[in-house]
Amino acid sequence: MKLNFKKQFSTLALVTGFAATASMSLAGECRVAEASMDKPGGFPDRALTMIVPYGPGGGSGQVAAAMAEAVTGLTDVSINRDHKPGGSGTVGMTAYMAAPADGYNVLEHIDDASSAHALDSSRPNPAEDLIPLVVSQVTFSQIYIRSNETRYTDWPSFVEWVQAQNGKATIANVSKEGSMERVIMKFITEASDMQIQQISFDKGAPRYGALLGGQVDALFEQPGDVRKFLDAGNFKPILTVFNERPGVFSDVPTHREMGMDFEPLLRFRGFYVHKDAPSDRVDWLKWAFQRAYCEDSYQAFNDSKFMNVIDSYRDTAGAIDMINAAIVQYRDVYKEMGLDVK
Amino acid sequence: MIENFLAGTATLFGDPFTIGIFVFGVLGGMLFGAIPGVSMLTLAAILLPFTADLSPAQGVMLFAVIYCTGTYGGAITAILFNIPGAPENAPTAFDGYPMTQKGMAGKAVGAAVLCSAIGGVASALVMMSATEPLAQWAIMNIGPPEIFALVFFGLAVASSVGGRTIWKGWLSVLLGLLIATIGQDPVGGINRFNFGYSDLAAGIAFVPAILGFFAVSEIFIQAEKNVSGKYSAPKFNVDFPSFLELWAHKIAVVRSIFVGFFCGILPGIGATLAAFMGYGEAVRWSKNKSEFGTGKLEGVISSETANNAATGAAMIPLLALGLPGGALTAMMVAVFQMHDLEPGPLVFYNSPELIWIVFAAMFYANLSILFVGLIETKTILYLLKIPFQFLAPMILMLASIGAYISRGLVLDVIVMFIAGIIGFLLRRSGYSIPGIVLGLILGKIGEQNFAQGMQMVHYDLGTYFSRPICTILIVAGVLTLLKSLHSAFFQKSKVT
Repeated sequence: MKLNFKKQFSTLALVTGFAATASMSLAGECRVAEASMDKPGGFPDRALTMIVPYGPGGGSGQVAAAMAEAVTGLTDVSINRDHKPGGSGTVGMTAYMAAPADGYNVLEHIDDASSAHALDSSRPNPAEDLIPLVVSQVTFSQIYIRSNETRYTDWPSFVEWVQAQNGKATIANVSKEGSMERVIMKFITEASDMQIQQISFDKGAPRYGALLGGQVDALFEQPGDVRKFLDAGNFKPILTVFNERPGVFSDVPTHREMGMDFEPLLRFRGFYVHKDAPSDRVDWLKWAFQRAYCEDSYQAFNDSKFMNVIDSYRDTAGAIDMINAAIVQYRDVYKEMGLDVK
Repeated sequence: MIENFLAGTATLFGDPFTIGIFVFGVLGGMLFGAIPGVSMLTLAAILLPFTADLSPAQGVMLFAVIYCTGTYGGAITAILFNIPGAPENAPTAFDGYPMTQKGMAGKAVGAAVLCSAIGGVASALVMMSATEPLAQWAIMNIGPPEIFALVFFGLAVASSVGGRTIWKGWLSVLLGLLIATIGQDPVGGINRFNFGYSDLAAGIAFVPAILGFFAVSEIFIQAEKNVSGKYSAPKFNVDFPSFLELWAHKIAVVRSIFVGFFCGILPGIGATLAAFMGYGEAVRWSKNKSEFGTGKLEGVISSETANNAATGAAMIPLLALGLPGGALTAMMVAVFQMHDLEPGPLVFYNSPELIWIVFAAMFYANLSILFVGLIETKTILYLLKIPFQFLAPMILMLASIGAYISRGLVLDVIVMFIAGIIGFLLRRSGYSIPGIVLGLILGKIGEQNFAQGMQMVHYDLGTYFSRPICTILIVAGVLTLLKSLHSAFFQKSKVT
């Protein structure tokens, strides 16, 4: 079954397309003018708790640590990180929704929260049940091969090789049902008229090791997560799933240039507070997290993760737009894929 | 190599502050490793932000030292109170705790200290001499099919551990495998057996399950004995194993070093599988398999040698390829990145001083286990003198805190007590608690790698046998199973 990408994503294209166009010039810039803000009624007078639905060593754990450090550096308010991994983020989300909505509890989460709500509307909607304080990382995906690969060296030769394998070619990713990775791979394989076996690795190390060791033929990943392999010359990107070529990957073609007409899904990580938290406290938290994005320590972290290649910053309104657009997009795709959308 | 090692040693011990960090790591790792639930990971997570103020070498070295001593630390509580500090110490409790009940706690703890040090030092030496080629070999030759075959092989020997009969041993393993299927499936992310309860989507966590099956069930059993007047306190004994006793197990030590090292070098696997495989191999090669689980020194030696042998090995894919082998090595990646460094091939060329300070620190940390551990042992054994009516509530309280604190979920405390009740009933009926725990832990690893492997071979199981390592492990596992079945029928025919 072929998807009608143009029909599905015409609305979304306006939102993300505009953001993408504006992204190159704004990446890394600070858009919060106020360098300080009075604490409303003394809030917070003790440490905040940040629930992180993933382990401390992964991408979410690291961005949570970097943001907590930046907020503390800016405000002198400590943040205790409480990692509750498991269930693709559902354990942490459930724990957060049960925590007091007093502003002292904040949540880190990724786009999985949006796709989970798109598949099952009984799951919390990050744009309605939560208030986004800031989205501090937005990134695109790429397809990588080994740098010393000789069977194919670029996207056209890769597609040709995969087509000749009759479905025996393999690619490593996180292909859980309804995940961003699986959806994009569906777009790519249908648009390129190729079959490729997706191997799901939920941890980064075995996933990257599988490509390094030749256990799989390609890897689907975001550039920040494999930067060390790019810097070391182990991996080579052959396709960027984004509407235009980011500067540091100017020699890598985009999916659109390769004839694939779909709107890219982006990976984003952000920070949230419960919608029932007192509004003056929410305002202070918005300021603290949005301003902390501008801190040198946080910007250095984002730079190290290729997170300033495109604009990684969304304030509350921008985050809500992005989340709502993602939910609509995921929901339409899930229906097309025949998944049980509740 | 020796020149680099001496240079690393000089840098490590040439600065008082660096020495202080080293000592802190040694003691902190042992302490946090010994407290169930509050593992070395907890300490590492607490320390992570502070490493930004250290030099890169000091930060990475601190985590490497914690990794070595933390892996050993959980053995003490496993042996004395049947409370493994971490999953990688669970097999140590299989025989360590029965030895305590027999009044041989000193021998068990002494063997754990010595063998942890031997396994760790041997692993560190191999790590120093061959990091890059070993990492390349592992990454090229070991994939999901091989890891599944390794797990299958490990499970195949489990039937003879702890069960009153082989059938009960296998039923125990199958129960563990069944429990391992609770939660999202490892490939498609589909919820299974969570009954709509979102906390169960993550599955049954290892720590509360282990605390329940080991510690809580043991408290219930001892309490029953206490009520019925059959309770006798463990005999207090601080006698360490003699040289001859340890020398008699030299083959088990060498075998466990190889097994632990092999498991440790695999990205994403680490010390837990190493400990179980080390123990399983000890059982497989023993002429007295039925003695395992009843207080056999070789069980403690094999488990503790293997899990510490995995520590140096786990550094190999991390340093050579940037691939962490477990949660703590993943946090080391964060330490590297906080200092604008990336573990991987380039670090050997860009920061050789850092690498050799870490290598030297791991070597000396494993030696420290020997000296600090022996001093610690002479004092900690006195805890056995505490009367049961005081000790039992303390253990239950400690276990409850440990179960809760690892994820902050009340569910985990409930799981712990349910596992304790099930463990109590099953142990009375002759089923194997080690078998259940083995099935639970290896089941999760095995299922994930089996599913990935099947995707890689396009659902053609026969393709598994086109991979030599995979074929050898599966054939060895099947032969072990057949031998086990033969023994079961042979025993039955002898009885009838």
